[in-house]
Amino acid sequence: MEKLAQKIIKLKWIIILTVFALTLFFGYQIKYLTINSDVLSSLPDDDPVARLYKDIGTQFGGNDMGMIVLESDDIFKTEVLQHVKQITDSLKYTDGVSTVTSLTNILDIKSSDWGIEIGRLVDEYDLPDNQSELDSLKKNVFSKEMYKGAIVSEDGTATIVIFTLLPDADKQAVAKEIKNKIKAMDLPEKLYFGGLPMMMDDITNLIISDIIWLLPMIFVVIAFILLISFRSSRGVILPLLTAGISAVWTIGIMVIAGYELTIISNIIPVVLLAVGSAYTIHVLNSIIHNKLKDRNQALIQAFSYIIVPVILAAVTTAVGFVSFVFGAYLTMIKDFGIFTAIGILIALILSIFFVPAFISALSMYNKKFEAIQTEKESILSHIILQPLVNLLFKHPKYILTAWSLLLLLSIGSMFLIKTSVNMADYFKDDNPTKVSEKLMQEKFGGSLPVFVVFEGDMQSPDVLNMMIKTEHFMKEDPNIAVTQSVADLVEQMNDAMGEGKSIPDDKAKIEQLWFLLDGQDVMSQLVSDELDKGIIQSKFSSVDSKEIENFTTKMNKFIQENANENYKVELTGLPSVYVKLNDSLIRSQYTSLIIAIIMVLLIVGIILRSLSKGIYATIPVIVTILILFGFMGLTGISLDIATVLVASVALGIGIDYSIHIITGFNSHLKKNGDAEKAIEETIMISGKAIIINVTSVAAGFLVLLFSQIVPLQNFGLLVAISMFGSGFGALTLLPVILILVNRKRKIVANNINN
Amino acid sequence: MKFTISKALMTVLILTGGILFANVQDTSSVLKKMDDVMYSPKDMTGINRIVLIDKNGKEEIREAIMQQKGTDKRMFRFTAPASQSGIAVLSLPNDVMYLYLPAFGKERRISTSVKSQNFAGTDFSYDDMGAETFSNEYTSKLLRTEANVFVLELRPKGRSDYSKIIVNVNKNNYYPELMEFYDKGNKKSKEAKYTFIKIGKYWNASEIEMTDLKKNHTTKMQMSNVKYDTGLTDDDFTVRKLKR
Repeated sequence: MEKLAQKIIKLKWIIILTVFALTLFFGYQIKYLTINSDVLSSLPDDDPVARLYKDIGTQFGGNDMGMIVLESDDIFKTEVLQHVKQITDSLKYTDGVSTVTSLTNILDIKSSDWGIEIGRLVDEYDLPDNQSELDSLKKNVFSKEMYKGAIVSEDGTATIVIFTLLPDADKQAVAKEIKNKIKAMDLPEKLYFGGLPMMMDDITNLIISDIIWLLPMIFVVIAFILLISFRSSRGVILPLLTAGISAVWTIGIMVIAGYELTIISNIIPVVLLAVGSAYTIHVLNSIIHNKLKDRNQALIQAFSYIIVPVILAAVTTAVGFVSFVFGAYLTMIKDFGIFTAIGILIALILSIFFVPAFISALSMYNKKFEAIQTEKESILSHIILQPLVNLLFKHPKYILTAWSLLLLLSIGSMFLIKTSVNMADYFKDDNPTKVSEKLMQEKFGGSLPVFVVFEGDMQSPDVLNMMIKTEHFMKEDPNIAVTQSVADLVEQMNDAMGEGKSIPDDKAKIEQLWFLLDGQDVMSQLVSDELDKGIIQSKFSSVDSKEIENFTTKMNKFIQENANENYKVELTGLPSVYVKLNDSLIRSQYTSLIIAIIMVLLIVGIILRSLSKGIYATIPVIVTILILFGFMGLTGISLDIATVLVASVALGIGIDYSIHIITGFNSHLKKNGDAEKAIEETIMISGKAIIINVTSVAAGFLVLLFSQIVPLQNFGLLVAISMFGSGFGALTLLPVILILVNRKRKIVANNINN
Repeated sequence: MKFTISKALMTVLILTGGILFANVQDTSSVLKKMDDVMYSPKDMTGINRIVLIDKNGKEEIREAIMQQKGTDKRMFRFTAPASQSGIAVLSLPNDVMYLYLPAFGKERRISTSVKSQNFAGTDFSYDDMGAETFSNEYTSKLLRTEANVFVLELRPKGRSDYSKIIVNVNKNNYYPELMEFYDKGNKKSKEAKYTFIKIGKYWNASEIEMTDLKKNHTTKMQMSNVKYDTGLTDDDFTVRKLKR
């Protein structure tokens, strides 16, 4: 270790220059960083349901669909119709828009005894402008299933303009242009934007806003804590500098590796600043406390003393982040885990190599503030640590009982934990996407797309009849209001031919009805060009996990019961994906936690050279995690894509506090042989470092409360709570265990001696 | 010196005035002549081959026997593909259409007021297939004269889905070579390329290639076995004939 330290000091300028060169290089890469706001792209390709959903969305254009809703007290007013037309026209002539469907341009196909009349519901050149015309339009709209609740809400207060984008259009750019155009119209009606392209624009704004607001905030928070702890400019600058550099490198590596910023990975810099600055703090702290006169020698000694604990702290934390790579469903979660772990290792390397080199190069040695340090130490010691030690020795069993009660309560509440997979829940209540989603749910039968995919001859009576049968079955569910398929259109055309609303038995008839359907815009959204694949499109109105699960189970059962060699039927859509996501949340919580526990136990056990001590060290963290789950159950914070990460992260960071206590206990025990004295000394010395560390990491994560994305807010809050929990556990529960174990050992030893 | 300048100026003024004058004179007559070329035969029969080409270049071919009388009576009787063989469409004036589906053995009347709808899966809208002459529906302006063509800008007189059409009219024979259709956002949305050959005394559009630029979809209408003025009567364009 000393050799390494000497080498570092010798090569200090090379190290510093290399770090700055690499920082420039990686920093330059950030210029090429792109934002991935397409949440669907995060669905895993190896899950057939998710895969099918993505494929169907691409093939039939569902993912390229946007919606604009106008809300007013009454839609059937000339003025409102004029505005709908204005929006419709504006969309129609926007680059990248393929089709537009609205109240003012939707086709109205009437079949009568003699044939078919194809017209428009509203004459766009001569909008209804008197009450009787408006009333008759209203009557017409509400008399047809294809308009009621589809293009105008059932209460007549909202109407929707649906548009599709061309497959090669830049979805987000078009969505943005449309939003701007429509906002510039300054219409009196309330406007809402929905659909994936619109949502993507919104998410991009959220990601940018999080970066713009959270990054400076975390800098200020960490700087403030560092200033209080170190009271020196170097104590503030160095940790921020190394954490900042590690963030730059990490993002740079992300760019080079071809990854984009997502709603989750945008907090990597925040996490790195909160966690990564700690390693530099440890190194600095060690250097400050070394009182050797020879500055260089002091640095070397301090370095050798701190290197193992710092490596241990960083590696366990990295393990916490890597652990959910194995269990996570969404690829953006995996990416977040991998790159945060990489960032942590970079922060570690920087604090080992760069910090000593930097201190040595700039001669930023310890100067004057030892007096203040000791004084502060004593304040902390007198008010918190000394009373704590007294309590520990007087009533170890009370403390154990208190923890046990808390644990029992938590385990009881754990069963109240809910899961949440609804993407709308990612957004705050006042977020435009969330507001639109809610409106879509209330007025237009929900916004969760459901697809039933049929593979087979789309012109065969068999397949079309099965489609109709499936649609009838779907509509029995209260959460399905409208379904659409090519089979409906065939029925409609058959009716127009005067044969009634049914699928003809004769394939030749179907083929000829196709003549009427060919080339209609809607066809490409319902059947493939080769006519070997078709879909039923629908929407599910509930986001309740139970109802979603019931529906998918029921549907899959129905599909199985009606299997036939002429066709293959599959269910997909967001409800199906949500069911998978939900299962995977719980599964990945187990796997990641178990992986993290085993890995941490192994690492700690090896470093401490004792399995039992490894187990003691993990007890406070595991207890904390259980309490955390209890907290989630009690407060109703649900397990979601981000909160599912808390347990592993809490384990990875929280274990550090136990390690500090156990290593301190070991060295003090070696020195004077008295276990109780060793515990007291350990708490008095390491306690301070733990309290500062807990405060800074927790404060760093609490900055996430200001994130625009709800799961990240909860993530920040829960990690902060678990920091307090594991810190407090390391200072109370762990010593109590050590005290009790030692007393028992003493008694056993005494008995043997007697 | 002074004299020279004013003389030059005069010349320019006279020339411009002349061009302007020629403009007003020529434009409407050019369009009229184009209408004459396109709509002059009393009747026409022929084989119409419809080639649909999607954005991936995949082709789908239909064939129909076509009969036309004047500008506003037209009958398509499909012969290929097999599944559509026997389907017949009769278009009559005032947006009335009859469709006959042999598998059902009956006809239906289709009335459509939506002229922007495409005809039977092609890139031609009912508007494009319409019977009205261009000079009745559009006002024209000469944009420029090129080596072989007059370039006209047509603006709709009444309702239309187009804001304007730019037409290249052949200088010698007055048939259109190219039409560019602009939507109301003033963006080019469709483009038709014409190939004309002379059959007897008439110019025949042996191929019209219509491309929907938005969908990147193309329809080629190719005419062969064309015969003119064979004496078709209104009787040939009745529902009874449709079901034949």
